[in-house]
Amino acid sequence: MYVIYLIVYGFILTAIIGLIASWIDRKVTARIQYRKGPPFFQPVFDILKLMGKETLIPKGASKTVFLVAPLIGFSSVVVVSTLLWVNNNNMSNSFLGDIIVIFYLLAIPSISIMIGGFASGNPLSRVGASREIKLLLGYELPFILAILVPIIKSGFSLRLEDIISYQAQNGAFATYASGILALFVCIAVIQAKLGLVPFDSPEAETEIIAGPMVEYSGTGLAIFRLMKNMLLFTLPFFLIILFLGGLNFDGIHILYSAIKYIILLLVITLIRNTNPRLRIDQAMRFFWGPVTGVAVIAVILAVLGK
Amino acid sequence: MTRNEIIDDLKKRFKDDITNIFDKSEKRVYVEIKPESLERCATYLFKDLKARFNIASGVDTRLHIEILYHFSIEYINLLISLRVKLKREKPVINSLAPVFKGANWIEREIHEILGVEFRGHPDLRRLLLSEDWPEGVYPLRRDYTEWDKTAIRDRGV
Amino acid sequence: MLKSPWVFHFSTGSCNNCDIEVLDCLTPRFDIERFGMLLAPSIKHADVILVTGSCNRKSAVRLKRLYEQAPKPCLVVAIGECSLSRGMFIYSYNCPVPLDKIVPVDAYIPGCPPKPEAIISGAVKLIEKIKGNL
Repeated sequence: MYVIYLIVYGFILTAIIGLIASWIDRKVTARIQYRKGPPFFQPVFDILKLMGKETLIPKGASKTVFLVAPLIGFSSVVVVSTLLWVNNNNMSNSFLGDIIVIFYLLAIPSISIMIGGFASGNPLSRVGASREIKLLLGYELPFILAILVPIIKSGFSLRLEDIISYQAQNGAFATYASGILALFVCIAVIQAKLGLVPFDSPEAETEIIAGPMVEYSGTGLAIFRLMKNMLLFTLPFFLIILFLGGLNFDGIHILYSAIKYIILLLVITLIRNTNPRLRIDQAMRFFWGPVTGVAVIAVILAVLGK
Repeated sequence: MTRNEIIDDLKKRFKDDITNIFDKSEKRVYVEIKPESLERCATYLFKDLKARFNIASGVDTRLHIEILYHFSIEYINLLISLRVKLKREKPVINSLAPVFKGANWIEREIHEILGVEFRGHPDLRRLLLSEDWPEGVYPLRRDYTEWDKTAIRDRGV
Repeated sequence: MLKSPWVFHFSTGSCNNCDIEVLDCLTPRFDIERFGMLLAPSIKHADVILVTGSCNRKSAVRLKRLYEQAPKPCLVVAIGECSLSRGMFIYSYNCPVPLDKIVPVDAYIPGCPPKPEAIISGAVKLIEKIKGNL
């Protein structure tokens, strides 16, 4: 019964914060480029407008997969954000291995973009979807290694609740050397998961045409955009729980939590605005070279106890 | 070779092909040749003098159809134009496409717009005009009239 | 919902001057993102099609196909003299009809090329016209 309550809590609150985060991202980008940005309710208008347009299905597409692909990604993001909110508010419902569940569920949005790209009959979307697969292979490995660091440090436990309570007693993981390194690795991986520059070659590479989402119009596109905006809140939230001690909502800590989230968001936006786009082979070499090396060093330091 | 040397050399080599040489300015020379000797002169300019083929241009004067082939020799800043005059009723000339590939498309365009037939061109299809353009109507001739009954040619005011 | 129109830019054989002015509008100096307009990458994301250039026989076929692929409701804006009435190409052999007879046009922006301020004011007038009809 309270599961339904929390899905609403997880869905609506995440959607609202995600849309505000997307507005902050666009406004900061605009200010950096010395221009005014969109007004405050712009992301909401975008999604409402997209709901009002007709949906065209191309002739060579497989109809069911084409229409269902956005819903798969969207539902997985809703489930992940529900799990994160539940564990954050100390409902003591975390079960053994829920980090692994969250990790698997976070790979599904990329897979749904990929399925959508292959299901439309367009060769351009197929190229974009194949790049998405390559990028996914690239960044999952350092992500696993970086998630191993909080698991090791909180005594080899696989529950989110233990990680949060360990940080509440002993200080956030980011104050240790291994934690900082793992945090940097995770920020690089988040740029790729969200589909932002410098790693957005699947999305806007065929910059004239939009990659896997070429043939989507109307409601499908609205759900994809909503999914991306909700990921803009869910992924930094996951990082905050793992490395920075979770969001705490009583007393003065509410200010600290807001500052933690906004600083992560600003780091993501600034990286987005100051970097060129990498080609797909350069991006894969980057992930399997320096980033994995740093993640391995972080794991070794964590095992040694630092 | 300097500019005057090149022109004298051309005059000696193609004595009976050249009918007229017009020295317009320091950088431009118009050489008028007979239509049969186009391939010889063009091959000499392209292969031996290493001139670059720029473009060919065609014009329908009231007396005949002229085609100019422009070659440029860059290290002395010279542009040589070979002028060929063809009869209006049946304009036929040898194609330069087997000699160098750069002439392929421009000859297709001259064929569909002026109606000049190029003998020996490997692939004389339509380049720029649309698919529903009728055959045998050449837009840039002097006697072109509007064939399209559905065209709107007034501004409506 | 004309609060976030996404524009799609299509040139039917123009001299590219009007295209430069349209691209000027999207750059930081004359910013149109403050009205919510973004450059749509694909025709299926487009709300407004900006057409420049006088339409010749080959690109009329493509423009009709593009107009059918855009999800309705979709508006068409003609920019520059060449797309209003073919400009100086009125007697050309390759441009038989003006743009009105090929796709239904909702707004006309004259000029050769129109300044970015003129394009922005045309866009605002289009939004006012659509809102006035509601």
